[in-house]
Amino acid sequence: MGGKLSARLLLVGMLLAGGCSRPPGGERALETASLVPISFAGWQEKLAGYRGSVVVVDFWATWCAPCLERFPHMVALYERYKGRGVRFVSVSLDDTGDAGALERAREFLKRHKATFENYLMDENITDAFAKLDLLSIPAVLIYGRDGRLRHKLTGDDPNRQFTSEDVDRALEETLKLD
Amino acid sequence: MLSRGTGIRTAVLLLFAVGIALPGHAGKFNKVVDLGAAMPEFADLPAVDGKTLSSRDLKESVVVLVFLANHCPWVKGMDGDLVKLAARFKGKDVRIVGVSVNHREDDRLEAMKVHAAKAGYNFTYVYDESQELGRKLGATRTPEYFVFDKARRLVYMGALHNSPASMRTDGTINYTKGEPTEFYVADAIEAALAGKAAPVDETRPQGCTIEYAQSK
Repeated sequence: MGGKLSARLLLVGMLLAGGCSRPPGGERALETASLVPISFAGWQEKLAGYRGSVVVVDFWATWCAPCLERFPHMVALYERYKGRGVRFVSVSLDDTGDAGALERAREFLKRHKATFENYLMDENITDAFAKLDLLSIPAVLIYGRDGRLRHKLTGDDPNRQFTSEDVDRALEETLKLD
Repeated sequence: MLSRGTGIRTAVLLLFAVGIALPGHAGKFNKVVDLGAAMPEFADLPAVDGKTLSSRDLKESVVVLVFLANHCPWVKGMDGDLVKLAARFKGKDVRIVGVSVNHREDDRLEAMKVHAAKAGYNFTYVYDESQELGRKLGATRTPEYFVFDKARRLVYMGALHNSPASMRTDGTINYTKGEPTEFYVADAIEAALAGKAAPVDETRPQGCTIEYAQSK
């Protein structure tokens, strides 16, 4: 466990070092890092491990303005559904080579008290969208206790972009189903 | 009594007509339109140069509509490539029109004027507050391209090229797949000018999400 955590922190450090410039106070930022890099394969494993819980996944990024606008609703939902067997997870699709963006992402999560699991998709971003079968973010995916994807809420159709109410409704439906 | 050949031809024509007329006839990635769709008409959209633009004003053989958003790092990352594209087809029978539809202040007309000047936009850049053009074309990304031939039928939709680029927080441009090697829009324009089919006709657009008003 400790070894895995160290490896993750090391990876965060490598990502920061791999950016165009190292942010001031970068070392200190590592101590409070709240974004855990994860590969697509690792994410698949993680999802499989969630079986038994209803899971709400929010795909977001700091470059995505509507993602930032919608994210507080995710935190509010997390608070509302605490203790009801719902797991909340965020996955950032920020540019892993942009140290400034990663710093902004961590600050954002901290400011919004996003104390659930927060991952950073550690893949080429163009590949990540294809592998995740996502056209756009924000996207909220809700999985049932059996691990099946029950709802995929996106902005892919201009005439049916999802709302916060859609997320609430989808989550309640999933809880009733399982 | 129709002959078998005539019957088949009639059926094909009917299917073609129904296919064009039906809303929700989606592409591989686009949820609203498919290739062959007619270019939606639009009227009197305000442009950054103080003029207005209507679809009836477009006389060129090929029309490219590209959805943009000033605030978007993916737009900023590929602005240079878009300007190069417009320069490449300058003086040819091609019209490139940038369209902004977001309602946020930094994507509206006044901000568009500032952004167009800064980015060196060398094409018409219009604002569609109604968002109708974006809705009708199923545009959800910025930048997202739609290429229409002389008959104003959609011959290509999607990304500019095969290496989407974004502007990082330090102002540098990051090409996600290295130097672009496949130039989908340019190839589609060349093909349309030559009366041929685009070699690649639909790709996955990558960029920021267009935010549509929820009232509809």
